[in-house]
Amino acid sequence: MIFHPSILALYVASLLISFMVLYSASYGVQILRKWDIRSGSEGQLILERKTYLISTLLTYAFGFELLSLFLFVFTVDRLHTFFVGAMCAAGTLYVNGFGYPALILKMVNFLLAGLWLILNYADNRGYDYPLIRTKYLLLLNLAPLILIEMALQANYFLRLKPNIITSCCGSLFSIGEQGLTSGMVALPITPMKIAFYLAMALMIASGLYFYRKGRGAYLFSSLSAITLLVSLVSILSFISLYFYELPTHHCPFCILQKEYGYIGYPLYVALFGGTISGMGVGVLMPFRNRKSLSEVLPLIQRRLTIASLVLFILFTAVVTYQMIFSGLILGE
Amino acid sequence: MIELINIRKVFNQGRPNEFVAIGGVSLSIDFNKATVLRGPSGSGKTTLLSLIGCMARPTSGRITLSGREITSLPERFLTEIRQKTFGFIFQQFNLIKGVTALENAMLPAYPTGEKHASLKKRALHLFDLFNISRKTASRVEWLSGGEAQRVTIVRALINNPSVIIADEPTAHLDTKLSQEFMEIIARLKDEQKTVLIASHDPMVYESSVIDRVVNVRDGKVDEAA
Repeated sequence: MIFHPSILALYVASLLISFMVLYSASYGVQILRKWDIRSGSEGQLILERKTYLISTLLTYAFGFELLSLFLFVFTVDRLHTFFVGAMCAAGTLYVNGFGYPALILKMVNFLLAGLWLILNYADNRGYDYPLIRTKYLLLLNLAPLILIEMALQANYFLRLKPNIITSCCGSLFSIGEQGLTSGMVALPITPMKIAFYLAMALMIASGLYFYRKGRGAYLFSSLSAITLLVSLVSILSFISLYFYELPTHHCPFCILQKEYGYIGYPLYVALFGGTISGMGVGVLMPFRNRKSLSEVLPLIQRRLTIASLVLFILFTAVVTYQMIFSGLILGE
Repeated sequence: MIELINIRKVFNQGRPNEFVAIGGVSLSIDFNKATVLRGPSGSGKTTLLSLIGCMARPTSGRITLSGREITSLPERFLTEIRQKTFGFIFQQFNLIKGVTALENAMLPAYPTGEKHASLKKRALHLFDLFNISRKTASRVEWLSGGEAQRVTIVRALINNPSVIIADEPTAHLDTKLSQEFMEIIARLKDEQKTVLIASHDPMVYESSVIDRVVNVRDGKVDEAA
């Protein structure tokens, strides 16, 4: 265990988030079982009042959840100096078996928490709690994941031993190693570039089509999720190379360091923010016909589309700029 | 029509000092009429007005306004209804000291974002209508009881609500001013406003302006003869 301010902050944050989610989930169960807007019973009116409290609590809880992903990555990056062999967050995460699972689950929960916040925002704009069951159903599914994340993160930090010799990102993300990441690193660069720009182009085109016509929400939403995956693989495959100006350095974490102007943070914020906004458009689509949301939902979806497109375009612009003006010239 | 369906309001529920203010009231109030809730102090008149005016939520039961159920509405929608539908005249006037009569009257309209010039024009028109134009620039603490009452009426009307709710409006007025108040109520009725008054003042509930009197006692209602 290392007593680092960021680790303590992450502990406290995850405990608070878990407590608030558990508390809210217990009311979620009651809402799913007993909610009846037509009833004027005392129990129904108590649930209606409680849902304000729950909604506010969860907005803060999931707001923390979004921030905690970046605090987690920042923390493990800062901790790399404690471990022999680690050069960045990649090595620190590899110190024990809980690091990478914790990170992956934090990314999944980041997306789900973002989608919950979008559902909650839309629900609060309807006069008859139109999405109340949907958002509490999502909450009940999300609650176990939040608890597992807390357990993984706690285990990871508790088992950090400074005398452990770990691997550096150079070996973890290199061609020739066994595993999924090495496979992604080894992907041929030119086809990956084509896949990256094709995914971006299709996603942007579908987003613009939805913005103008109000149709194709599910396509845009799916393409946003696909673009996230393609972009993450692209970072490993070729984008990182242009930032490091090294043809063999594929680490997705070193770009979070000072030497690279912390460019990784805005890049990942844009990528994940764009994905959440894009996926939110599809998540809201089934509810467009609800009477109380029929006017407000198309407006929310259009705003999400714009946010998603702006963030993805920003990501692509920064990456493309770096590829053009980088000192590295890749030839295959 | 405003309809109350089996409304209960319990304060401090589950505690030793639990108090049932309203115990299962069902009531229909017609639009464009003047209705008085008559009853002694502590009978539940003010609580009932607060519930109808969306200033409090019932413990159980529902209230509908023109067929639309309003007790379950989230706060943002209730605010809108309070702004657009109801104008309140309070027993203690609740004017803000240190601020002019005109500013006091315009305050409820500020959140609507209306242009100040048009708002001021409307407020001045209302001040003129109630013969207190000369008091617009006066601070409210300098006003007499009758003048303060008129400012509260202007304030209640500033957003052009369809329902005026008045809680013991004549409690601090002498006979002459009470009569003037009832004349104002008659004028509001002529303008197709719905008026709902809680009062135990005979000058109010015996007035010819009033269409209907509902007795309230111990949190229950019954129609007056």
